[in-house]
Amino acid sequence: MRYCMVIDLDKCIGCQTCAVICKMHHAQPQGTWWNRVFTQGSDYHQSAVGTKDGFKIEYLPVSCQMCDNAPCERVCPTGATYKNEEGMILVDYDRCIGCRTCMAACPYGVRQFNWKDPKKAKEEAGYAYGYPFDVTEKGKRLVYTQDRPAGVVEKCTFCVECMNADGTYDALPACVRACPGKARYFGDLDDPNSEVSRLVSSKQVFRLKEEYGTEPKVYYISSTKSKNVEGPWTEQSWENKTPNTIIP
Amino acid sequence: MDKELKLTRRKFLQVSAAAGAVAAAGGIELAAHAAPDEEAKKGELKYVRTTCAPNCTGGCGQQACVYNGEIKDIIQASDYEDSEHNPRGCLKGISFSNLIYGPNRMHGPLKRIGAPGEDEFEELSWEDALDQAAAELRRISDTYGPESIACVVQVAGTGHVAKGAISRIATLNGWAMMGGYEMNGDLPMSAPITFGVQSEELETYCWLDAKYIMCFGSNPMQTRIPDAHFLNEARENGAKLLVFDPCFTATASKADEWYSIKPSSDAAVALGFAKVILDEKLYDADFIRKFTDMPILIRSDNQKKLLAADVEGLEVPADMPEYRQAFVAYSKGKPVTVNPEKFDLPMDTQLEGEVTIRLRDGKSVKCRPVFDLLSEMASQWTPEAVEAETDMPASEIPRIAREIATIKPVHIMYGASNYQWYHGDLKGRALSLLVALTGNIGHLGDGFSTYAGQYKMRYKGGAWWNVPELPDKKPAGTSFAYMLDYTLNDYAKNGPRPTMTCPFPKSGIKAWILYCCNAFDQHNIANVLREQVESGQLECVITLDFQKTTTSKYAHFCLPGVSWYEKTELVSTPIHPYAQLMQPAIEPLYDCKPELWIMRELADRVNPGDRKWFYPDLDPDKAAEEVIKLTCETGGIEMEGVTLEKLKQGPVKLHHENPGRKRIPFYEQIQGGQPFPPVSYPMTIDKTAQFVKSGRIEFYKDEDTFIKVGECLPVHKPPFEETEYVLNPAARELYKYTYITRNSIHRVHSTHSNNQMMRELQDDSAKVYLNPDDAAEKGIAAGDLVEVFNDRGKLLAEAVLDPGVRTMTVIFEEGWWSRYTHGTSYNTLLYPWINPVHEVYFVSQMWAPNTSWNECLVDFKKAEI
Repeated sequence: MRYCMVIDLDKCIGCQTCAVICKMHHAQPQGTWWNRVFTQGSDYHQSAVGTKDGFKIEYLPVSCQMCDNAPCERVCPTGATYKNEEGMILVDYDRCIGCRTCMAACPYGVRQFNWKDPKKAKEEAGYAYGYPFDVTEKGKRLVYTQDRPAGVVEKCTFCVECMNADGTYDALPACVRACPGKARYFGDLDDPNSEVSRLVSSKQVFRLKEEYGTEPKVYYISSTKSKNVEGPWTEQSWENKTPNTIIP
Repeated sequence: MDKELKLTRRKFLQVSAAAGAVAAAGGIELAAHAAPDEEAKKGELKYVRTTCAPNCTGGCGQQACVYNGEIKDIIQASDYEDSEHNPRGCLKGISFSNLIYGPNRMHGPLKRIGAPGEDEFEELSWEDALDQAAAELRRISDTYGPESIACVVQVAGTGHVAKGAISRIATLNGWAMMGGYEMNGDLPMSAPITFGVQSEELETYCWLDAKYIMCFGSNPMQTRIPDAHFLNEARENGAKLLVFDPCFTATASKADEWYSIKPSSDAAVALGFAKVILDEKLYDADFIRKFTDMPILIRSDNQKKLLAADVEGLEVPADMPEYRQAFVAYSKGKPVTVNPEKFDLPMDTQLEGEVTIRLRDGKSVKCRPVFDLLSEMASQWTPEAVEAETDMPASEIPRIAREIATIKPVHIMYGASNYQWYHGDLKGRALSLLVALTGNIGHLGDGFSTYAGQYKMRYKGGAWWNVPELPDKKPAGTSFAYMLDYTLNDYAKNGPRPTMTCPFPKSGIKAWILYCCNAFDQHNIANVLREQVESGQLECVITLDFQKTTTSKYAHFCLPGVSWYEKTELVSTPIHPYAQLMQPAIEPLYDCKPELWIMRELADRVNPGDRKWFYPDLDPDKAAEEVIKLTCETGGIEMEGVTLEKLKQGPVKLHHENPGRKRIPFYEQIQGGQPFPPVSYPMTIDKTAQFVKSGRIEFYKDEDTFIKVGECLPVHKPPFEETEYVLNPAARELYKYTYITRNSIHRVHSTHSNNQMMRELQDDSAKVYLNPDDAAEKGIAAGDLVEVFNDRGKLLAEAVLDPGVRTMTVIFEEGWWSRYTHGTSYNTLLYPWINPVHEVYFVSQMWAPNTSWNECLVDFKKAEI
């Protein structure tokens, strides 16, 4: 079992619903986004790039790439970040000491650090939203809790709270279920008959920063409309962004 | 691995389509975390299916996860029988709980004690607040007449129970119902003018059935997030998508072709296509003879349609209803009566040439068919002339015209960015011409759609919206235009213009009851409205909204209602075919009350005893259920088979008459032989059929005002010539930038301005989108604070340099509360231009004076603060 996500960039409409459902569902406080949507090459979301000879607005949703060869896992000094039997990279919040080495190691900038007590931050901004129950693996690894402690690192879990004991999912990850563009697919890459395997083998797909050898398990189906601007994606599109935008 | 919790989740997900699946979480195995949260085990978890119903009119089914009486998250219910509609919902709907529990949530009734706009209120008990508000309304009614009290409910279909309750109190007391359509500038006037309807649009799953889709100033990839996938899928199915928009939009980015045309030049583009279709005889002659007014003869002496009653030897059909007119066509060398109730003209009816007709009075008159006049008018729009006027490349015009004429079905989407102009109606009429000439009306996947201002009721609501037991009681009619005291539209000062047909309250509007309406931020012209409170012209403003908005701060009384997670309601809008319930996921928060309860209590205090008209013995949710039952029973053919019991199980599809699972606009006319128009609820046919007296699709209007302004035919008229340049001729030099207020993905108009997650996604600042060259000329860099200004007002917002923005265009995403734009208001720049053709008839929310938000010129500079 090796779960992966496929995102069709032709179908993605850049609406950010995936980012918001993830934030709401997983109780992310202000400033924290496990999942973000960028407009490739553009300084501001949904504004065009190019010249009058050819414009383009093309999106790139970015969350944890669930690497098979995950640098974050290798650098974690406490074993808090680990890969489970289904190939998902998870953080055990009980073990995380907040050293943030993983954040430096991750080439995708998706790991988020709790500078403040998230519970307090949410209550100040509104109320205590999010999935209210704890989720543990192996009876001991706390991989989801509504209010993570201050000083831990967190990120996308492929909605581990939706996974059954046998590794099957009873509800797809929230971003897949909520995507109004129907752009997201989720399934087992080891199963050659799964929809994700079929897409990965039949469509023109790419992964982010493959040159690092991280072997991500998030695949992007290339847009068929990216004729006017170079590359399937550009560094500028998301790397220059501060991950945490905090409202004063 | 201990993941049993997920099994319980699954159980909930499966039953959640039926509302209110409740289980004590303590009774089931939770995640076997080493130390299970004892509190969680004691908690109550339930999933409730309700309907998200702001003024995007999306009507999306949502499922709230409620734990211990608090909404923890929201996700699309995805329970539509036509599964292509799943999942319906967007980033705003799923974060709506930020508004329910947010810092601006109302806690209970308030009376303003500070100056207008100041946040100084006295908390009152409901008893006191209702007593005082009712006393004010009684005083105003006694002093100025009941018609001086106006109620606004915005989109009827988003809440039949609450909005009907407000209409009911207005009916009982003779207060006025003021159309939100007109206030919002959303009235697509081309629809009543051409088709006699309020609007008729494809339900979005029919986008899949079109093969050629043309968007004119419509940006569904941002404004119709739950439906946008249908456009992508239509392209996957082989449809071609063309976008005509001054700017490169998110929708343009998904299109096969995009053309940056000059703002408000669409009619010329359409006429350029029409000319090719006419010249090359690519039109569907049978269709236009049968269903349009193009064969009808126009008198050369007075530009009126020739009446059968005036022609020697012609009979007027005996059983013709009063709202019809029998006109004349010409066939086999003689005039023939055009029966307005039947499509029975001979197929050889003459479309071209001049004929001389003998009248009953012995005189003769020269006449030409509408088609002939149209062809002559269109003939000036050669590809070169079109390019000169619009920037549409001449070389592409013949090809696109041929594609329109040969590929079926063609669907034209006409966006509000495009029709919120002084000549928005002309553009819509010219674009309608393309689908009419090519017979692309009345079949699956074809037609002409507008998707803003979806106020249309899907079924009869009169049993609740009015009081059928008291047939003499009626709400008054009025116009938002009467509140706008301006040089060119001085209704408030001088009364209506002679051409105005809308009833005028003799003292003006003195009290305003607002629901789902943040007028003092959102409306054209908010600053004028604010001044009316400050000056005392508006003596009593009451808002029912559940949040403290800018409007609350100008209200005299806040009588807070509740959100769509706290009550029972009925929702059905035109975008998809489902009737749905709102169901209470949580108790009304704090001391807020369902609006039906508020109206019942208010009605009884305005007029003792009137409680009896609002199900006095039932709690608000039970009373709402009775209203829904009544509406199901009396809603007419569309409500066939819809019951409260079924609605409680999930969304119920409304009935339609045409075969197949998707409703087809104008099917009854094109394929069933019924005359135009189909009924537009809540109006009866006699009110709307007068718009198209011929019973046909009309491209020639002969009412005096149309003749006077030279708009009998759908001609092109450039923007600003009759508006900005009349008001201030110097504007030509002073204000060269077109100011367009488009919709944002982060707001539904002003709703969600304060949603903290939406604010984060926008870096917590309002943006103005500029072309980089324009910005460079003014020394403006990305992120600079910019002042957009004209003689009327100013706006402060942060610059985004977007090369897709057409030069000489300034784009602002409407809806921001003024607290987020440094106290400025984006709509103070606007002017309430009223086009006289909007005054020809008055049928509220259909043919009425309509504001034009994009007809606005500005300049901008780097702000100094």
